[in-house]
Order: sequence, then structure tokens, then C-alpha cells
Amino acid sequence: MDEARRARLTGWLRAASGDPALAIEGMTLLSGGAIQQNWTLDVSGGRSWVLRTDNAATLAVSHGRAEEFALLRAAFAAGVTVPEPLFLCEDAAVTGAPFFVMRRVTGTAAAHRVVRSETLGGGREACVRALGRELARIHAITPPRADLAFLGTPPADPCRTFVAEQRAALDRQRIPRPVLEWGLRHLERTAPPPVPAVLVHNDFRTGNIMLDERGVTAVLDWEFSVWSDPHADLGWLCAKCWRFGNDAQEAGGIGPRAALYAGYGAVDDARVRWWELAAHVRWASIAVDQAERHISGVERNLELALTGHLVPGLEWEILRMVEARDAA
Amino acid sequence: MLREEPLAPDLLAIAREVLLNDLLPALPAETAFAARMVANAMAIAAREATQDDWEPAMLARMAALAGDPRAFAAAIREGRFDPGTPGHKEAAALLDELTRARCAVSAPKALGKG
Repeated sequence: MDEARRARLTGWLRAASGDPALAIEGMTLLSGGAIQQNWTLDVSGGRSWVLRTDNAATLAVSHGRAEEFALLRAAFAAGVTVPEPLFLCEDAAVTGAPFFVMRRVTGTAAAHRVVRSETLGGGREACVRALGRELARIHAITPPRADLAFLGTPPADPCRTFVAEQRAALDRQRIPRPVLEWGLRHLERTAPPPVPAVLVHNDFRTGNIMLDERGVTAVLDWEFSVWSDPHADLGWLCAKCWRFGNDAQEAGGIGPRAALYAGYGAVDDARVRWWELAAHVRWASIAVDQAERHISGVERNLELALTGHLVPGLEWEILRMVEARDAA
Repeated sequence: MLREEPLAPDLLAIAREVLLNDLLPALPAETAFAARMVANAMAIAAREATQDDWEPAMLARMAALAGDPRAFAAAIREGRFDPGTPGHKEAAALLDELTRARCAVSAPKALGKG
């Protein structure tokens, strides 16, 4: 961030915080997600903050910074372990894009480190138990909510809505995807009955959860949240494609599925399994979209290009899951 | 026969070895991830360059079942290849084989586990 932007940011933060002497003592780019940028902000008075803003290109399916800020506030109020949201700036003139500021939380979220560690999050079993409790708190947020009106009308039948939305996404794609259709058709044939929709984080997985040696320090990345079936989050976390190679630990490659369920409370396992197949379809579809950003030239990027090559492996898993479920 | 060797797969393989064995250890930590991505891309490209052209045979089988890939995808969506239908086994086998061929390039590890 150049000097002019930094000066404008300082001025804006002084007004937002009510501290006319506020000074930015340090600022470094933390992580370049595919969609967002996170900057550490070291602010006078020993304040450690994070500034979260958009990257050049943004997926249409993700919420903007203002919506993410509202979700973070709702989650914080519901007792979910999230960084405390502090200030929102919707004026792109300050830094070039809307941003919000939250308190900085320490820990590691790096998926490959997390799945290898026996001690992070307080140990495998304790960690996934805690993740179950976090999900239960998130799912206690229910519609209608004026502050979350941007989430739209809750679906009457979340499973069938998922199938319809995924099909619409496939219809927007350049190339037909018979295997994803195969998975979606199976999901349609085997959809469980409707349940009341709740707030679903919708990207609750290893890599988006920050841990230290004692436990969970933050549930991150709220930009995909929706009203849906709570089992969608459990299925996303347990899906094999999000275990980062540590398949034996079924809850995110971190710990046992039973401990996650125990931490959560009442779980309909069959429903979770339906959402695990759904997770593979959804991730494959997102991966196709990401690769298309590279292929189309919207954003030439090696990581996006390689993401496209994850699709065949996901399709293979979808075929195996459908086969096993049809045989059962 | 007329092209000058070494061909693409060999060039990619030897270049990848240099990248991983000589360059990667000398790179600063923050660029190691990018270097690994480059190595991964080269491995995928090398596998693609050595693969037989399996597409015509698969497309012919697809055409016999439903038509082009778009028609096949639509037929699956409509339930024309659901379990219990006459074409189910053949459609499932075709999807398996074309996904196997795709994985051989993009994700050979997935097949190892499958």
C-alpha cells in the first residue's frame, strides 16, 4: 500500500476509532487468498488489527466486505470464536476497495500443518469437539434477521435448493460436466426431507479455522455464508476432499468424526453423508470457475490454472461415492 | 521422426528435475510454494504430452448413448441413465473410463486410492 493510501487510511481510522492520535506503526500483507487480501495493522497503543479487503477479481458468489462484516458481528454476538469486528469502510476511495478492520488473532490455519499436528487445537479429539461446538453456535443463528437480510429468503427445502443452484451454475459454465450432473442427479434422487434453514458458514473447513495449542482461536472466511441445512457445514468439514491427505481423521483431517458429532450435539449422520457428496460437487464446480478465470484471461494465475486440474480427481471421488451409495 | 529430440515430455522432466533439485533449495521460503506449483504444472503437462488420444473413442461411445457431451449431460440430468434404466451400466462405465483418463493426467494419485 503506497504512502497516499496509507495516509488516507490513517485519517479514516482516526475518525472511526475516535482516536485523533492514532498512528499506523506497521503494515504487512499477511495472506493473498484467491479472493481477499489480509493486512496486519500495528496501531499505536499496542493495538494489533487486521485489515481485510478485496483482491482485483472477485467471485460473484462471495459476499462483499460489508456483508462479511455483518456476518462477523452476528457470529461474534452468538459466541462463535471469531476475531472481533471493529470498523467497516465501504468507501473505495480510501484504499482503493472496501475494507473492514478486525482484532488480530494469533494461531495457525495452514491446512497441511494443521492435519499433521497432534497438539494444535488442544489435540485431535479436543479440537474437533470444539469445532462441533463452534458449528452448533453458528447454527443457533436463525432467520429472519434484519442485519442479515442480504442472505435473502431462507430456502424451504435446502437440499433441493442446493441441487437447483448447482445445476444453474453448471448451465453458466463453458463446458458440460457429465460427472457433476451424475452426482447431482444422485443427490436429487436421494435428497432427505426438508429441515428449517439456519445460518450455514459454508466454508467451514481445515484451512479456514485458526488454531493454537490450546484450542480454536478463530473461525475465518465468512464470505460464502447462506441460509441452509446445518448438516451442510458438517458435510463440508468431513468431506474427503477437505482432509488434506489425512483421510483417516474424518473430521477435516484433524480428528475423529464421532468427536465432532459429540461436540455438536444432535447429528443426522445420513444427512451429513449426503452433504459430503454435495461438497465434492460444489468444490469441483468452484474449481472449474477458478480455472476459467485463468483460461478466459480475466486473471492469469498459475494457482487458478492448477485448481482446474483438481476437477478430475474430485470427479473420480464423486463416481465412487455415487456407486457406493447406490449399492448400499 | 522428423522432429528434433528431446521432445516435450523429456524436456519437461529434465527441467522439472533442475527446478526441484537445484533451484528450489536455493530459493527463499516465500517463493518455494510458487516453485512447487511450477513443478506440478510441468508434471501435468508432461503426462498430457505422453497420453494417447482417447477422446475420439469416448466421444463415439457418448454419441451412441446420448449425443455430444452437452446432450449426455442433459440426459443424465433428466434421469435417463438412473439405476434400473437400460443405459445405466454403459453410462456409468463410460463416465468411469473418461474420468480415469482425465485423472491419469491431472490427478494420478486419485486413481491409486480408488
